[in-house]
Order: sequence, then C-alpha cells, then structure tokens
Amino acid sequence: MNPRKLLLRTLSAACALGLWWLSSGTLFNPILVPPPHKVAVNLWEMTAEGEILFHAWASLRRVIVGYAFGSVLGILTGVAVARIRIAEDMLEPPLQFVRNITPVAIIPLAVNAFGLEEPSKYFVIIYSTIIPVVFNTAAGVASTPQIRVRAAMCLGAGRWEIFARVVLPSAWPFILTGLRVALGFAFMGVVAAEMIAAESGVGYLIMQSRNMLLPEQMFSGLFLLGLIGLVTDRAFQFTIGRLMRRYMLQTAAFD
Amino acid sequence: MSWRVLRLEGVGKDFDRADGGVAQVLRDVTLTVERGSFFTLLGPSGCGKSTLLNIVAGFEGATTGGVSLDDTPVTGPGTDRTVIFQDVSNALFPWMNARENVEFGPKMARLGARARQELSEKYLRLVGLDADGGKFPFELSGGMKQRIQIARALANDPDILLMDEPFAALDAITKKHLQVEFRKIWNETGKTIFYITHDIFEALLLSTHLAVMTAGPEAGIKEIFQIDLKEPRSPSNPDFAALYSRVESLIDEEVQRMRAR
Repeated sequence: MNPRKLLLRTLSAACALGLWWLSSGTLFNPILVPPPHKVAVNLWEMTAEGEILFHAWASLRRVIVGYAFGSVLGILTGVAVARIRIAEDMLEPPLQFVRNITPVAIIPLAVNAFGLEEPSKYFVIIYSTIIPVVFNTAAGVASTPQIRVRAAMCLGAGRWEIFARVVLPSAWPFILTGLRVALGFAFMGVVAAEMIAAESGVGYLIMQSRNMLLPEQMFSGLFLLGLIGLVTDRAFQFTIGRLMRRYMLQTAAFD
Repeated sequence: MSWRVLRLEGVGKDFDRADGGVAQVLRDVTLTVERGSFFTLLGPSGCGKSTLLNIVAGFEGATTGGVSLDDTPVTGPGTDRTVIFQDVSNALFPWMNARENVEFGPKMARLGARARQELSEKYLRLVGLDADGGKFPFELSGGMKQRIQIARALANDPDILLMDEPFAALDAITKKHLQVEFRKIWNETGKTIFYITHDIFEALLLSTHLAVMTAGPEAGIKEIFQIDLKEPRSPSNPDFAALYSRVESLIDEEVQRMRAR
C-alpha cells in the first residue's frame, strides 16, 4: 500500500471514530450509545474472558455446516436446472417464487418446523445460501459458449467429459461469484436467526446485550460481526485465488 | 478410417422463422470432396456457408439429403472431422495453457502422458509456438491463438479439417503469414481441408478446388473450379488475376441478384 493510500485510510477510520465519539453524549444518550473507548475496553474484557471466541465460534460453526450443505445442494440444483429439461420445468417456478422471500422472514417457519435447536439455524443458512448459488450456477452452465462444447465434441469428448471438462470449468467464475455472495447471505441469515431464537452466537450476543442494557457489549458484538465477515470473505478470496486461479483467467478472455 | 470421397448429396436445410414460417437456407447442395484436396466454399455473407459446414461437422442435421464418407453416412460429430472456428477465444479452453489445449484430444483418446507430450511438442513446433506451450490463451495474440487451435486439431489426427473463416478476424499482416504457413502445413500433413471463406484472394491462394455459392436464401452451388495455378501462387501471375476477376464477377452477380429481390 502506498503512503498516500495508507494516510487516507487511516484518516477515514479516525474520522469515523471521531464522529462516533462526538455524537455519544451530544446527539445520543451516552448510556445507550457509549463512546468508542468504552466499547474498546469492553471488547478487551470479553476477549480475555473467552466470551468473544465462544459466540464467534457458535455462529461460525453453524455457518460452516449450513453453508457447506447449501453450496453443494445449490450447485447440484443449478446444474440440474440448466441441463435437464424436466428439472428446469419443475424447479424454476418454485425457485423464482421462493427467491423473493428473504431469509429473515423464513425464521419463524424454521423455528416452527425444526425447533429452537441447531437444525432451525442450519435450515435458515442453507436457505440463505442456496438461492444465489442455484441462480449463478444455472446462469454459468447455460452461458458456456456453444462452440467450446462443439470443439470438445470434435476432439472426442463424450457427454460426461464435456460436462466435467468443458461446461463446469466454463461455469466456475459464475459459480464462485454465487458462492461468495452466498457466504455473506449465510452470515446475515445466522445472525438474524440467533437474534430470534438461540442461546449462543453473535446475533444472540447483540440482542441479549440490548435487552440487558449492556450497550458496550452490543457494540462489541457488532464489531465482531464486521470482523468475522471481513475475515471470511478475504479467506474465501485467497483460497479461490490459490485453487481456482486458472478458471478465473477466462474473464480476461471475454474481452 | 480409409475413405476416398466426402459426399454431400442434395443437402437442404430449413429453419423455423420467428414468425412461424419456414426459411429455406440451403437447397440441393451436391458436392464431392476428394481425400487430400483443399476444398474451398466461397460465397457472399449470409448464404449459408457456415450452416453447410455445421452439417458436415455433424453439429446439425440436414433437412433433406445427407453427408457421407464414401458410403458411410455422417450422423454426428466425430474425431475424423475437426472444426477450426473463427471465434478462437471461445473455441480454446481458457483455463488450459497452450500445451494442455493441444493435448485435449489425445487425452480424450486415453493416450498416456508421454505420448501426449510428444504430440503437443510436435504440433506446437509445426505451428511455430514450441516456446509458448506454458502460456494461457489470454496471454496470446489472436494469430497465436489460431495457431494453437490448428495445432490442437492436428494433434487429434482427424482426416478432415473443417475451417470456418479461420483467419477472417485477424489483421491483414497476421492473416497473410498464417495463410502461407497454413498451406505449408496442409502440404506436410496431407489432410483434407473443407474451407469456408468470403475472401476471393484467400480462396485462390489456398485451394485446389473452389465452389462458388449462390446467394441465399435457398443457396446452392453456382460453379465449381479446379485450381491449377503456377506455384508459388501470386496475384501478379496473369492466370491468377484472370481467375480472380472471373470469380469476382460470379460473386457480384449473386450480390446483385440478392439486392434485386
């Protein structure tokens, strides 16, 4: 990072903290919206007590399970919708309908159907994940250039080889975009679910802190949420950059 | 597979139009392409040349008539016929480097790593890209990409190369070099070439046989020439010039006829 960029970024962070500090006690009640230094102290204490790690891990564990299932299910469904006529005719209408129902709205149903324990969280995360993955996968598979498939046919590729070695690699940039969006959705889903019905997790921490009039703790939860999201997104990008780099090259060839 | 002639007999192709009608694109195309020849199909744009090539490739079926190698009908794509596409960026596999692209056919044929490597080295050398095997398509110019596509096709050892205006999207200088080089490659490999172009000069420079198409719809064959020009072929040769104007007037006639409709 060049010095100018570093300076500007530091400045913008300082401005945000400054505004927060100024508004607490003037614009807002300092008991309900505490200044940043009080939050920092609280964050430090909660980290030392292991509470931060406990809630972060609770949310992360749910996301890992739900996201893994949702991704696999989403890719399979997306491929089916794009490649199999019957699947398209049968799945497209319900998917188009369901995609309008936000994950938050599905939480009461999830609790009714799967109870207050983990399964209802998994359901909400799978639901949040699957929608963007299905639509991106289907778009990617459908947009494979026809002549690329034809070239493979001339070179002796059979049906399965065309799918595995031509269609799927052509679709990867789309699928990966869907997976990245879905990762963000998964966190939104889990936090909302934890706010409504849970005994652990970052969403629970935030809601519970508000109810118990512990605003410093509430802010610590928000900070934690931003941090987890940032780290997982970066980790995702890094992994893709390492493992899938050759499939992302084609975006440069679409000039 | 040993065969003597590629035959197109009474090939016609209809497409359903958006308004519910039927468009007859090709009508009664009959051609004989002898093994080892360089057969070029020349015609004004939109006359159905590519459709005809797609039918020979087996990508599309003919509405009437059919294509056969001797007496064996062509029913679908096969490794005996490989297409070289004009849109090379989409034809190549962008996630594979040049070598991997060339080795795709041999891999599908279940050849071992050693045999594949020998083939890719041989054909990358033939197209003059032996030093660029590790590069990915996005790192290569249009002309280089087209060389890779030619090497990829040859490494699969087809009997016939079906070429759909392969050099039309290249700049004039690259195009000229590739035309000359490709003719050498054809000489060395002895493949049968079924070539499509709208460029009269290119057709006369490369082909042993030239079929001029009538304007579409209902396009067919107007006239077939056997080309025995003095080698090396050059536009300054009077025979070349004479044949050029002859073919040009045929094409002009067709363009006029199309406009008059």
